[in-house]
Amino acid sequence: MIRYIAYIFALLAGVALSFEGAIYGELGKTIGQLETSFYNFFVGAIILSLLWLFFGKGKISHVTKAPKWTLLGGSLGVVYLTAIVISVPFVGVGITMVAVIIGQLIMSMVIEHFGWLGSKKTRINKEKIFAVISMVIALILVN
Amino acid sequence: MGIFMILFTLLGGITLSAQSAINGTFSRKAGTIETTFLTFITGTMFLALIILFFGQGNLFAIFEVPIWQLSAVFLGVLFLLFNVFAVPKIGVIATSITVIIGQLVIGVVIDHFGWFNSLVIPLSMKRWFALLFMIIALYFIYKGNKRSIEEASANIIN
Repeated sequence: MIRYIAYIFALLAGVALSFEGAIYGELGKTIGQLETSFYNFFVGAIILSLLWLFFGKGKISHVTKAPKWTLLGGSLGVVYLTAIVISVPFVGVGITMVAVIIGQLIMSMVIEHFGWLGSKKTRINKEKIFAVISMVIALILVN
Repeated sequence: MGIFMILFTLLGGITLSAQSAINGTFSRKAGTIETTFLTFITGTMFLALIILFFGQGNLFAIFEVPIWQLSAVFLGVLFLLFNVFAVPKIGVIATSITVIIGQLVIGVVIDHFGWFNSLVIPLSMKRWFALLFMIIALYFIYKGNKRSIEEASANIIN
């Protein structure tokens, strides 16, 4: 049951990302692209500090005990963003999106296959490979 | 230059999947809201540095833009919260594919209607086929994920 909810949430996350991208595209024209990301992270941090104060049930103090590499999530998001901002003017939005998604899908599969970065080890199988191939076809058809 | 840029962008995708995996690991101990909070805080710090040195826009123009453009931050928060929630439950690859499908489907709809001043790109036959392949991908990732989780737990029992 919780698995279905996770799939639905992941779909909604993608929906949110698409609207976000379209709206931020407009904001970026006025204030600049890097500034738009900064706005997103800065105000997002404020919203989350409130959410955390009222609804946080976990342990934020884990930050001091966790291995340092597990704290790198935020900085990797920034690397991703910067890669996109730099490459779009050179190769266009379409190719950038396809390249990002292919990199993401193949790497996700490899990370899980070997259980890297603390992920649960689940092997690559033919269904997963079919899924990635179908995504690549879909991406080419969309562009 | 083109090929180099495409490789560079592939790297962007790789960091994104690493982020999902790392955040998933951290959230198992620290919690979903806490992990998302930390991601936003560290992201803000890195971007503050980047903007100081490379920023060419005008941050203070945010006081002049229409409010609906600023409201996208709530979507940014939702995206990361949902992502951090889903990874420990269904894994990195299933989360990635499902997020991308949600993103592409709505992207196609936004293009079709030209919302948010975007370019109007009508829903063509090609794009209908793209949607069909996304549904096929979703079906396969669900099946494949279920099978590898079952195999993994069978191995633990044996």
